[in-house]
Amino acid sequence: MKLFYDMPAGDRAAYDAAASPDEVLMYCVPFNVWQERFVSGWTAVTDRAIYCILDGRVLSTTELERCTVFSTEVLYGNCAFYGVVDGTTTLICQFLSGRNLPRYSVLVQACEDLAKKRRESRAPGDPVVNEEHERFCPKCGRPFIPGTNICPFCRNSKEVYKKLWGLTRGLRWMLFFPLFVSVISLAIQFILPAIQRVAVNDYLTNESIHPLGSFAEDPHKRAFLLIFLAIITIDLVQRVLGVIQSRLSAVAGNKFTLMMRTLLYEKISTLSISSISHKSTGDLMGRITGDVNAVQAFMTGQLPSLFTQAASFVLALVFLLIINPLMSMFVFVPIPFVVWLVKNFWSTMQNRNRKNWVLGYHVNLFLQDILNGIRVVKSYGNEEREIATFHRRTDRHAAQTESNALLFDTFFPLLGFVTRIGSYLILFYGNYLLFKGTMNYGDLHQFNSYANIIYGPLIWITGIPRQISAFLTSLGKVLEILEEQPEVADIGLPIDIDIEGDVRFENVTFGYDSYNPVLEGINLDVKKGEMIGVVGHSGSGKTTLINLLMRLYDVTEGAIMIDDVNIKDISQNALRSQIGVVLQETHLFSGSIRDNIKYAKPHASDEEVIEAAKMANAHDFIVNLPDGYNTMIGEKGYSLSGGERQRVAIARALIHNPKILILDEATAALDTETEKLIQDAINKLSKNRTTFAIAHRLSTLRNADRLIVLDKGHLAECGTHQELLDQKGFYWRLVMAQRQDSGMLDKADKILAAKKTATA
Amino acid sequence: MNETKNAAVKEEPKKAEVTEKKTEAEAEEKKETAPAAKEEAKEEKKETPAEEGSEEINTDDLFKHRVSINLTPENAWFSPSAGGLISLKIINAEGEEEFFERVVIRRSFPVTSPDEFLSVREPDTRAKGRGAEIGMIRNIHIFDQTTVDLINAELDIRYFTPTISKITSAKEKFGYTYWEAETSAGKVSIVLNNPFSNIRVLEDGRIYIFDMDGNCFLIPDPAALDRQSFRAIEIYI
Repeated sequence: MKLFYDMPAGDRAAYDAAASPDEVLMYCVPFNVWQERFVSGWTAVTDRAIYCILDGRVLSTTELERCTVFSTEVLYGNCAFYGVVDGTTTLICQFLSGRNLPRYSVLVQACEDLAKKRRESRAPGDPVVNEEHERFCPKCGRPFIPGTNICPFCRNSKEVYKKLWGLTRGLRWMLFFPLFVSVISLAIQFILPAIQRVAVNDYLTNESIHPLGSFAEDPHKRAFLLIFLAIITIDLVQRVLGVIQSRLSAVAGNKFTLMMRTLLYEKISTLSISSISHKSTGDLMGRITGDVNAVQAFMTGQLPSLFTQAASFVLALVFLLIINPLMSMFVFVPIPFVVWLVKNFWSTMQNRNRKNWVLGYHVNLFLQDILNGIRVVKSYGNEEREIATFHRRTDRHAAQTESNALLFDTFFPLLGFVTRIGSYLILFYGNYLLFKGTMNYGDLHQFNSYANIIYGPLIWITGIPRQISAFLTSLGKVLEILEEQPEVADIGLPIDIDIEGDVRFENVTFGYDSYNPVLEGINLDVKKGEMIGVVGHSGSGKTTLINLLMRLYDVTEGAIMIDDVNIKDISQNALRSQIGVVLQETHLFSGSIRDNIKYAKPHASDEEVIEAAKMANAHDFIVNLPDGYNTMIGEKGYSLSGGERQRVAIARALIHNPKILILDEATAALDTETEKLIQDAINKLSKNRTTFAIAHRLSTLRNADRLIVLDKGHLAECGTHQELLDQKGFYWRLVMAQRQDSGMLDKADKILAAKKTATA
Repeated sequence: MNETKNAAVKEEPKKAEVTEKKTEAEAEEKKETAPAAKEEAKEEKKETPAEEGSEEINTDDLFKHRVSINLTPENAWFSPSAGGLISLKIINAEGEEEFFERVVIRRSFPVTSPDEFLSVREPDTRAKGRGAEIGMIRNIHIFDQTTVDLINAELDIRYFTPTISKITSAKEKFGYTYWEAETSAGKVSIVLNNPFSNIRVLEDGRIYIFDMDGNCFLIPDPAALDRQSFRAIEIYI
């Protein structure tokens, strides 16, 4: 990430004038907003002061010596950079969040450091270097596609086509053979009018021919028969070629779609959690289905037609000019007008269709939202209101559809008439020539055939730019996924180890963005078989710690060691297959309970399934279901209660006998009795397993060997239950707060009981 | 402690119901009820440790929450701070005078009622986390013009939402939408990665646009745009 920009000459001069000659310019980053205007100013940080420079003028100078704390704040539509000067918070500058927040976050730390060194009159040291990727195109300043260094705006279409060409490997002959076939079929199409001309001129209108007897004797009759056969053969050949082309296109298209979908799905599966979680499921699904279809339709449908249409346009043009250059002018006279009209018509239609699509999309969205929440609608008695809303939306959609259809149905036939103006002119002028005797019937017929051919491609070609842009949009979306680099990747030769269960965090620092650490300097040594309870406020980094252990993210600094091996050296597969995880939100797939439990170990025997279910205290409720372990669950199946789902999830985590077990708020949403059951299950299964359990309810952790307390990303306390209580620190406070809550519950119970007796 | 919180929360809907004239009286009433509620809570807390009997707990210090008050010209005085921000002096729920070197003002309804229900808060800090609410301004216009201007100046910085007056060029490349636009804050180039979710149309017809840079733009009346600009936005709404 760039922290030192070169100021333009004017601003640089202003800086030079303001700063003393021996000041060292350490950082220079842009600021973007000043007095409610977008500007291009510079925040220059030296070893002594912060200068805000705009349009060759120094707006403000903040001496570091007088500053203590710096901070950034995300506002609405922009961010602010503050410094505490002489104990007073001062607004230094405003900047755009997406663009510069990472830079200023680094600057906050750097400025505090400089200010401290300045006060202690120490040397400023070297400027901080940040390895974070730049997220904006150096050429045009527009944002890159997230997770890549590709700027869609500057991207050359050629490069995209090259990528696409690379993707067609193995399918190329299938994709291009149909092209070849259609060219042949096109050529034949052009022979036909020529033969027809011969038939008309030499035979149909030739009055000098008189029947001379049988076919064998009469050369005219023989020639005519030949022409007749040729016409039939050509038609037949054309149709056969058509069949071959369609069949090949269908196969190639299907193969292409299949390949793209598989590639995309594989890629999405290997991408890191961080980049997947930034995209919505709907968006990803749209790319795998819709966009791949659009790319395929273009490759196997529009692209070949583009080719043949362009070729037939050129050929028809040449033939027209050869037959009668003057008359071909009549074809061209209406062309500019027709092209203009067609283009406008399509662009209007496209806008209207898009609008219609958006309205339809809103109706769908509404339906999905309301149908999912129908319980809420009914329980608040809001059916009437939602019906009204639905009416409003569908009415708008229907009105738009109607208006689009009316326009299309009125205008399209008229368009057909307009494109035929050329033909009428030809008919008129051709007949004139015919009467004059300078042209014969056959030539006129052939000319007319070609003239009719030329308009088709013309109308088609006006739609090409639109189709290409839609195709590029879809292709861009597909490539965007394919080009993204997974952030967490295996090393060249990853190790497959059998995990024993010793875990060590060595000075681990991590932030989802490198400038904003969520965990800082975590040191923790966990022995094999120990149960560690993780406690802390929400947002203190508990789940992040667990994510790091599973290596869903890579640590920014430090290392996590399992059995003295850095987890970066272990293959992700080996690592995760030996860690069992139960999360608060359990996702069970559609299928039977048996399938779900076996998910972590597909070849598990039924004995193993039952054993795992027993350990999770799930066996009893499962066998009481009518279909036992074969009960179908998921969206269309039997619905399990929260506690039941949770226990199935625990069984799933246990079946592959993991050496490390992670329970992330696994019991938070359950009632006390169910929790007790699960608690027992956990006690059974945490034996001989290194267990990390996150819990808000401290009673869940009463069997933990040790507890760690996280506070704002730091390891605040670590020890046994008793040790931490004796410390009277953070943990003690949590315990007290929860005791107090339960005390209040008791009190409430007493009041209720008193009331009951009173009413009785 | 829970009771204290509840008392404060219960006040809110009541406040919304009363007309502006009543606000002052309401504030008085609140000043009285809030400490009372707090005392009740204190009493209860003292009982709990007695029941436990094991350790001495002084939970009052641990879970002290600021009581948010209704800010009026009678109990709150805003002034510009030396750092160009806003300072505030109040008479708090306990009747004591308090001074804040810097306060942050947030709108509860930035879209629908920008002048009402302003939340005046202590700034968030890295050390202490989220700042507490000092009080609420029911309607900014109960204060004198100098204060209104001071607060509005701060709000204009915080809610920076330039108005788009013209879209001079609209392009779509590889699924990204690129606009060049003229706004009340100058010319700007806007990049949208997913126009359908980043362009929001309100019931009253206003359009909010959120771009990839974290900017927020407003089109107050799309029908008033010129034809070219309207065409650029029309397809997304």
